[in-house]
Amino acid sequence: MDSLSAATSESFRLLFSGDADLWVIIFTSFSVSIRAIMIAAPLAFIVAFLMAHLRYPGRRTMIAGFSAMQSIPAVVVGLTVYLVLSRSGPLGDLKLLFTHSAMITGQVLLAFPLLVAISHSTFQAADQRVWETAVTLGAKPYRAFFTLLHEIRFGLIAAFIAAFGRIIAEVGCSMMVGGNILGYTRNIPTAIALETSKGEFSQAIALGIVLLSMALFLNGLLAFFQGRGVMSS
Amino acid sequence: MSEIIHYSNLRKSVHGELLLNIDSLVINEQACVALSGRNGAGKSTLMRIIAGLETPDSVTVTLDDKTLSWRRACQKMRTHVIYLHQNPYLFDCSVTDNIAYGLRRKKLPLKDISRKVSDALDWAGIGHLQLRNARELSGGERQRVAFARARILSPRVLLLDEPMTNMDSEAREQTCRMIRRLREDGVSILLATHEYHTVAHLCDAHLSLQAGRLHPQPLEQDGEERKIIPYR
Repeated sequence: MDSLSAATSESFRLLFSGDADLWVIIFTSFSVSIRAIMIAAPLAFIVAFLMAHLRYPGRRTMIAGFSAMQSIPAVVVGLTVYLVLSRSGPLGDLKLLFTHSAMITGQVLLAFPLLVAISHSTFQAADQRVWETAVTLGAKPYRAFFTLLHEIRFGLIAAFIAAFGRIIAEVGCSMMVGGNILGYTRNIPTAIALETSKGEFSQAIALGIVLLSMALFLNGLLAFFQGRGVMSS
Repeated sequence: MSEIIHYSNLRKSVHGELLLNIDSLVINEQACVALSGRNGAGKSTLMRIIAGLETPDSVTVTLDDKTLSWRRACQKMRTHVIYLHQNPYLFDCSVTDNIAYGLRRKKLPLKDISRKVSDALDWAGIGHLQLRNARELSGGERQRVAFARARILSPRVLLLDEPMTNMDSEAREQTCRMIRRLREDGVSILLATHEYHTVAHLCDAHLSLQAGRLHPQPLEQDGEERKIIPYR
């Protein structure tokens, strides 16, 4: 019990004293995950919109496929990206393994199905009159699309937060394709796993506090944007 | 009355059944035409085709005496025709932003938009609501915002899909007043209804949609029959 409270006190000291190693890890984590979500989200929203609005053969299979891929284990994605980027893999010549690019690729692949599946449900539930009203008032299709995004923004923000929460907290993929290199590819979850295995709990607790605070902050932000949280008439 | 749009040989099937089989439909300038028919007769589908929101199986469209392909006709119709849903959708923003939506798409100068929106708010008598979120309005107020939002774009044809449904008598009277004023502004109106008697006093022609075909009907007013205005 004493060692736990000592580790907790030390973790706060690390956080507030501006410990360089700790903050580099936090920066790496956010830098990689924010870039990954920024790449995945726009593409996923477009795919989800097309799946909801177009009728084409194989559409239902695609929907089912993306739903199933939501639960794909991070280590499987990590393994796949590792095999593709490893020296003997098809993209081995790019020498991307154990770099931020590899981590971003893995996180994009993890976030994409989740973003598509959740935002597809949102697009599917959207009122058809939004698109039609925008078009009949003279909006070009791309403008009508942005109007639709605005009208269903809370559902999309929820998809965004869920996907961001998944990738910033995943260990398996980052560990395999990033290599957990200190000062370069070590991020919050891989650092927590490593420090815990070493019995060094203070840094793990400090990083856990950061992750927890971020989760609470993002959900608070969602609640704020949702406003009164009542059904529209 | 000169002709704005002429649809000929309009066919539309839904789930393998022929819903619309219209040989000729003309929308004239400054006309107000009631389109009646039972529920499910295809009134809304016809309106949505006229607005370019649905594609018919076949149709020939003549706009201002020029025959156009369906694709070109859709583009043109979006500048001339505005369709108002039975329960108009208002965007999740202020009344002012809703009314300005179409003008912003036309990329008009902000000063002009502001002036036109102000005029539209006065026209619909909703100046006091301008900063309110449109979602917070009552049914009658929403209808007025939707009319103002349509009128500000100066359409040549306004398609009203069951505009009086689920309205109390006061809201109905307000809607009737706005329809009359739109006609005075020179807007042609096609008004779908399954209760013709509620809009009879507004219209100068009456078409009934039965078994996919349009049938001209006699006009009624104050319990008396008016003569049938020849209408193709």
